Amino acid sequence: MDDLFVKPGNQERGWNDPPQFSYGLQVAGSTRSPLTKRGPPPPAAGLQAPPPCGDPSPDQQATSPHLHGITPPPHKMTTPTHRITPPPSGVTPPLSQATSSPCGSRLPPPPKGPDSKAPCGPRAEPDPQPEPDLQAVSSVLAEALEACRQNVSRQVCEDIAKRLRLLEDSWTSGRLSSTVKRRMNALTLEMKSSHWSAADDIHRSLMVDHVTEVSQWMVGIKRLIAETRNLSPELLAFSPADPVQPEPVGN
Amino acid sequence: MTTYQEFIQQNEDRDGVRFSWNLWPSSRLEATRLVVPVSCLFTPLKERPDLPPVQYEPVMCGRANCKAVLNPLCQVDFRAKIWACNFCFQRNPFPPSYAGISDVNQPAELMPQFSTIEYVVQRGPVAPLIFLYVVDTCLEEEDLQALRESLQMSLSLLPPNALVGLITFGRMVQVHELSCEGIAKSYVFRGTKELSSKQIQEMLGLMKPAVSGQQGRPAAPQDPSATCRFLQPVHRVDMNLTDLLGELQRDPWPVPQGKRPLRSTGVALSVAVGLLEGAFPNTGARVMLFTGGPPTQGPGMVVGDELKTPIRSWHDIQKDNARHLKKSSKYYDTLANRTAVNGHSIDIYACALDQTGLLEMKCLSNLTGGHIVMGDSFNTSLFKQTFQRVFSKDYSGEFRMAFGGTMEVKTSRELKVCGAIGPCVSLGAKGPSVSENEMGVGGTSQWKVCSLNPSTTLAMFFEVVSQHNAPVPQGGRGAIQFVTQYQHSSTQRRIRVTTVARNWADAQSQIQHIESSFDQEASAVIMARLGVFRAESEEGPDVLRWLDRQLIRLFMFHLRRSPFLQVFNNSPDESSYYRHHFVRQDLTQSLIMVQPMLYSYSFHGPPEPVLLDSSSILPDRILLMDTFFQLVIYHGETIAQWRKAGYQEMAEYENFKQLLQAPLDDAQEILQTRFPMPRYVDTEHGGSQARFLLSKVNPSQTHNNSNGWTQEPGAPILTDDVSLQVFMDHLKKLAVSSST
Repeated sequence: MDDLFVKPGNQERGWNDPPQFSYGLQVAGSTRSPLTKRGPPPPAAGLQAPPPCGDPSPDQQATSPHLHGITPPPHKMTTPTHRITPPPSGVTPPLSQATSSPCGSRLPPPPKGPDSKAPCGPRAEPDPQPEPDLQAVSSVLAEALEACRQNVSRQVCEDIAKRLRLLEDSWTSGRLSSTVKRRMNALTLEMKSSHWSAADDIHRSLMVDHVTEVSQWMVGIKRLIAETRNLSPELLAFSPADPVQPEPVGN
Repeated sequence: MTTYQEFIQQNEDRDGVRFSWNLWPSSRLEATRLVVPVSCLFTPLKERPDLPPVQYEPVMCGRANCKAVLNPLCQVDFRAKIWACNFCFQRNPFPPSYAGISDVNQPAELMPQFSTIEYVVQRGPVAPLIFLYVVDTCLEEEDLQALRESLQMSLSLLPPNALVGLITFGRMVQVHELSCEGIAKSYVFRGTKELSSKQIQEMLGLMKPAVSGQQGRPAAPQDPSATCRFLQPVHRVDMNLTDLLGELQRDPWPVPQGKRPLRSTGVALSVAVGLLEGAFPNTGARVMLFTGGPPTQGPGMVVGDELKTPIRSWHDIQKDNARHLKKSSKYYDTLANRTAVNGHSIDIYACALDQTGLLEMKCLSNLTGGHIVMGDSFNTSLFKQTFQRVFSKDYSGEFRMAFGGTMEVKTSRELKVCGAIGPCVSLGAKGPSVSENEMGVGGTSQWKVCSLNPSTTLAMFFEVVSQHNAPVPQGGRGAIQFVTQYQHSSTQRRIRVTTVARNWADAQSQIQHIESSFDQEASAVIMARLGVFRAESEEGPDVLRWLDRQLIRLFMFHLRRSPFLQVFNNSPDESSYYRHHFVRQDLTQSLIMVQPMLYSYSFHGPPEPVLLDSSSILPDRILLMDTFFQLVIYHGETIAQWRKAGYQEMAEYENFKQLLQAPLDDAQEILQTRFPMPRYVDTEHGGSQARFLLSKVNPSQTHNNSNGWTQEPGAPILTDDVSLQVFMDHLKKLAVSSST
């Protein structure tokens, strides 16, 4: 699920910079009906109050039932040292999700600093997945490149090879985050299964979400996908799947 | 029996049209008495997931000065295979391919539910889309790095077969060759010298060599194979271009103390337009300008390089103290018109803390349908995500952007078209349906919209021309047809035809019916667009006076105070930016811009919309305000105290945590999809950023009128601005006293 997240904006460069949504979230788009209702007009005596402007939205989901049915119970005085009256307390039953937005999509608390990449949402359990193996990833890419050498110009193949080396360098020297490594693994799995569009989509989401880490070499992967998908299938034969089973692609 | 509300909504859903009046007065005299003219907001490419395009050419009327498209309003004789044009009454035979049609086997374009229909037409060779990046290198390193990355990222978002090119500029202008091997080459132009299109093409080596001995020959055409050195398909050049972008350096010319960098934006744009002009006329092309400051050199300069001379403010302009304004506005206007004639568009991505000259350059985008995005820095999520969304795709995975649009309007003979307001230019098409009275861009029945998307909306103005006392035809209806031809992002050429009709009504006997057909929202936005159009071409105060004579009260109150008409507190660039978006967005978004949405979240019940009034600001409420350009979440005083005390972290106050989260979730829905991305403000009672909310609400409680004894809820607002109540009273007096 690490392709769906929200980061705070860059408060240093833009004091009211909005949060940054991952590619996956932006592509998923909005699932709720928009807030298009207006408040009632001023009840002024003698004035022709215009009827309320507001698009008749198809249903009332805009006023989503976050708090329905809750009457705040009597105040619970917790700490007598606080001079302000605490809010009405209450533990509500777990809300059924009004929307189908996935769990990693809540806005984070106000950003604490320019570098805080607060990936939001409750990720209670530590991630149990082992980091993907570089060998698994680069072997798929190398095989794809080999298959291309017949039909694609030498210059282009060298260019791609150069970038694959950059990828390996970055990987081994620890410059890549585990998210990027995991998604590269997912990308190569899609390539192995000849799911070119899915692989292309992962490359795109990596470029959008992690451009700083991947921009130097990702264009080589992009090219590799584009070239291999044009090859006839018999030229492309990947070695059998390796034993490490990664997480399923969560697009 | 549907209500007018439902009728209006159904028509908008199907045709993308909202008329100010849905019953039209049958006489010219009566029509002119209406404060709001017969007019509509029209969204030519409204998204219609339920409308698959048909794969054949439209059938058109044979009369030379008509050529209306076959539509559900036409009378058809299925046996004789003849149809009568509802605009000019010419009888036309059906083409041979329609031989099999009958009463029970009708072609789609005759059916009422296809009042809007789209045709895919195969015409000529497929032309690829073109994206030409024009990049300012006079940026701080952090900004340049962020911009490099965004541009590299965009190569993954472009359509794979699109052509892409790169021009960089600072003191000089460099056109980069995108060859696939060897050393990177570029052609350098001086940033101070204005060049003609022909000169640019010659210097880039794009002209075919002239045959000797041919005197007086017309100018040699561009050599397309030469042009492709500068514009290459993405799939072929992406690796090279990625490296090239990665190696882009800041402009090497040192900037002395007290000076601005020398930025030759004018020449850079002229080179870009010239490059495209010869080889790719009337192909979908976007020139994308990325700039981090004002043009300071050469034609189109907005301010000199001395920092002690500030860039023009509204005050300077009103005092006629803006040295470069007229000349550079004219320069860009000429460039914009040339670009529009070529069918290309120009986007401006301006990220800087100070102004960048949008006031002078705005016509580049306004006339061509290009975007203007205004941010503080390229290293902000506002720029990065807005830029990503330029390449957003629709429900079927196709790019939303469309190119090379031409829109034509046909009317039945009782109507004429007066003009259009939106991101368009006139095509100067005269004809029987063109009125002599101009409103907006008039004097034509055809306009060019070089770049458009599913939300692009034009305001169209009409005039009733039938004579007073001419009998209203029984059951007669006036009809209007919009024919929009464009290049779809898949490079297919398409034609979308929308044909609408409304009943005529005799104003003498049916005035109440006409009144009940009034669409207040559409009218408000249409009048607002007219106001903005006039504000941009006339003096400001006159527009406000004109507006006061219009009688759409509540909306006009907010419009008057809005940044569209009220330039106080905004720079000229900011005003240009807000207006740019206002005259092209659809109705719902336009309404939000003038009269922001305000939602209230509290323990007292579910979230609800509340009045945009200071009385809505209460201590135990959270407010979410959407002005389209900003999203403001405001925590009332008590809420803020609770938040500060950390109650949301305690298990027994789970409901408070959810209360805090609710407006964030709703804001997120908007943030995820809106173009351009709005600014995001999280503030509270007493916070300095609360001013965004306070300046928008109706100040029913000000320090002038609130007294200490009342129990009135709501925070008083420190302003000298009049409240809605006072405004309404004043307006009532005006309306009664004036005898117009």
